[in-house]
Amino acid sequence: MDERVKTDMGSLAAALDFDAELMLRVKEGDGASFGILLEKHRSPVIHFLYRMVQNQAVAEELAQEVFLRVYRSRESYEPTAKFTTWLFRIATHLALNSLRDGRNRRLEERLDDDSADAPVRQVSDRRPSVEEEMVHRARLDEVRRAVAMLPEKQRAAVLMHKYQEMEYSQIAKVLNCSESAVKSLLFRAYETLRARLAHMA
Amino acid sequence: MNCPLEVRENAAWLLDYASGKLDAAARAQMEEHMEGCPACREFAGGQQAVWQALEAWEPAPVSMDFDRRLYQRIERQVSWWSRLVRPFDPLFRHAVPVAAAAGVMCLAGLLMDRPAAKPAAPVEESAQVETLQPDQVQHAVDDMEMLRDLNSLVRADDAESKM
Repeated sequence: MDERVKTDMGSLAAALDFDAELMLRVKEGDGASFGILLEKHRSPVIHFLYRMVQNQAVAEELAQEVFLRVYRSRESYEPTAKFTTWLFRIATHLALNSLRDGRNRRLEERLDDDSADAPVRQVSDRRPSVEEEMVHRARLDEVRRAVAMLPEKQRAAVLMHKYQEMEYSQIAKVLNCSESAVKSLLFRAYETLRARLAHMA
Repeated sequence: MNCPLEVRENAAWLLDYASGKLDAAARAQMEEHMEGCPACREFAGGQQAVWQALEAWEPAPVSMDFDRRLYQRIERQVSWWSRLVRPFDPLFRHAVPVAAAAGVMCLAGLLMDRPAAKPAAPVEESAQVETLQPDQVQHAVDDMEMLRDLNSLVRADDAESKM
């Protein structure tokens, strides 16, 4: 590649974010930079996928595929958008495919089976009583079911908005739709969640 | 301000208010509006409850061997050629461009060193020049001298016989 073009890409990446710069280093053959990216984004990606498919094993399998695709695409990578936009676009695509493939057909069953995946709530000054723990688990199940019942795109939008704290414009880029479409998706999704979860206040 | 629930484009303000994403000025403006708007108050209250409920949903910890499994998969996808040349990778990275540059320079040097093309000459003449060797030339000269000597002997014999 022409040196000037390379420099332009580098400064564009730096302007976009440090992650894009790291990815350009991966493109140059720097394996350590891939390790840094993995360390930084491993948990957010797995947590996003877990909340999408609601199964820890499937989420980790999909996350493996996400990072594998990132690694495989290193040579053709161009920093045209934020790195996380690209990363979550891959993750969302895989999650939606997985849901559509029917791998999560028996989601209801797994919601029960998977409740063991949920971390036990830590209370710093005292251990929760059995009753408190049961109430907590029941509330958590309710939240999980409410999110699982959202249409897939609404679910992805809510998870990126709530847990990844993404801007509307970035969610729009991930979901490949307009910003106003994202606002509309979120408005409808939260409307449904309010109807199901408002009593938990 | 216009009621965010009446203007669809502004509904995101209520979401941002409930999730604490509004700056101080916009937040104050929203609170002022909500004082006289029960619908927005109800919306914001419900949205804050949803936000808190979602807050409680903590994901499970990531498996300890996640990275190991990933690197194994990456390793499986690397071709045998990449594995073979990997130890020499830094060498290749620097040596290949240098070797290529050196090759180009040698080629350029050779092309520049070639004598300028001669004007076109008759094919036969050129073929002769190209095929004659020094010893052949010497033989030809010797042959010519021998013929000349022979000629002079023959002429001398003729003269003697006429006399």
